Amino acid sequence: MIGLADDALCFSFAEVHPGARLRIEFQRTLRIPDDYRDYPLPPGLGCFPLRHTDDFAARVPRHWLEHGGVMLPMYQAEALWLNLTGEDLEDRDSSYPFAIRVATGKVDAVTGKAWVNGLEDDPQNYLVSPTQPWLDGYCVQRGVIRQFVAMPLGRGYSVEEQATGRAEHGGIQIQVFPMKREAFERRFPVRSRVRRRFDRMVFSKELQCGGPSAAMGLAPGGRMRQEIYGDPFELEDWDLTRTSRCFVHLVNSAMWKAMTGELPPTTPPSAADYSRAGLPWFDYYDESAKPADGSAVLRGLKSVFRLGEEKGDHSPGENEGAFTPRVVNLRRGLRPGQVREGGF
Amino acid sequence: MPASLGEHLRRRREELRASDPRYSVRQVAARVGLEPSYLSKIERGEQPPPSEESIRALAKDLREDPDVLLAMAGKISGDLQRIILKRPQLVAELLRDLKNLPDHAVLRLVREVRDGNW
Repeated sequence: MIGLADDALCFSFAEVHPGARLRIEFQRTLRIPDDYRDYPLPPGLGCFPLRHTDDFAARVPRHWLEHGGVMLPMYQAEALWLNLTGEDLEDRDSSYPFAIRVATGKVDAVTGKAWVNGLEDDPQNYLVSPTQPWLDGYCVQRGVIRQFVAMPLGRGYSVEEQATGRAEHGGIQIQVFPMKREAFERRFPVRSRVRRRFDRMVFSKELQCGGPSAAMGLAPGGRMRQEIYGDPFELEDWDLTRTSRCFVHLVNSAMWKAMTGELPPTTPPSAADYSRAGLPWFDYYDESAKPADGSAVLRGLKSVFRLGEEKGDHSPGENEGAFTPRVVNLRRGLRPGQVREGGF
Repeated sequence: MPASLGEHLRRRREELRASDPRYSVRQVAARVGLEPSYLSKIERGEQPPPSEESIRALAKDLREDPDVLLAMAGKISGDLQRIILKRPQLVAELLRDLKNLPDHAVLRLVREVRDGNW
């Protein structure tokens, strides 16, 4: 089942294993410049608020109710990343493994193909937790992604519109498969105590409102160094009979208050201002994991800024390049105290 | 019959005091902002339970769950009162229905994110 706790989606498969729990947060972050440079990973600025779509039935578009799921507010041209955290298992060498599928507007964020339920391994259409600690964007080539950036649906920027020519779904679609219990017991037998955890600091920000329009879709933003790791297990290790999925609707922040009565978070700082303040960027290394190739489909799409220039549309906002002199290197097996957070 | 709030507070404080002298009536009272004689009377059941604020401070100092202490004092915390006031009949019915359920069944009542057609 999927529950909501502290603005995170909590997937649990108690029928498979009591510790088969995965938390997915949608982290606020700054938008990296789209200037042909490959940037390091930007910080997490705290979670986006998540609400049950059903709770605002009278004010959301009718087809959102058909999707069910949850919703969160984003400003135009705001970026996000997904933080994937399995629950610590004290007696095992790993948190419970999950295969995670992520799509935006029902276009797969890893392969660029149209959404179909289920896992495929050629090309691999899923991420593996705990190998993959986070996902910041679309996999365009090995080791490089383009950041997830929100744009109003219907304006032609979203991956969905560029790839399919239609502005039908928007939002983010997530599907999670647990590892089969038998495979877990075989691969991770009960062992000494190992703790793997990383702290999350949540920044509370002053609240304000601004901007027009309603449903948002995610579009490709600037380039960033991030590897999408190949599955270190076998396809048959995943339990395809037990899965949970969730539709995450993206609401323009300008409409969030009207829909929910709550104020959305403030806009994050620009990448240039963030760097000027001397705050850190991040890189993540896992020499033991095999990075996957990027998707040719996704590589062929136009970035928000490039498309904005072509259209003569300045709404994507400023795009000042940023120097990133402070890069914190994080390695596989994040320990308590290893965080990907910056203050501002 | 469950222990009264006073008895419970005294027992817990004495338990902590066995290994830490800072848990005398006087010192606990000072930390939570009560008169020592007043706290002593509460422990003996000679005074009705103190305010929600004081109970929360006592819970924090004695490392107890504030909701448990508030329930023992016959009080409902402010946040729960607001939840009940929003939908009083529904919440009352729900609690009556839950009365005889075992804990594990109650824990399953976490609200599920609904998946629809997409």
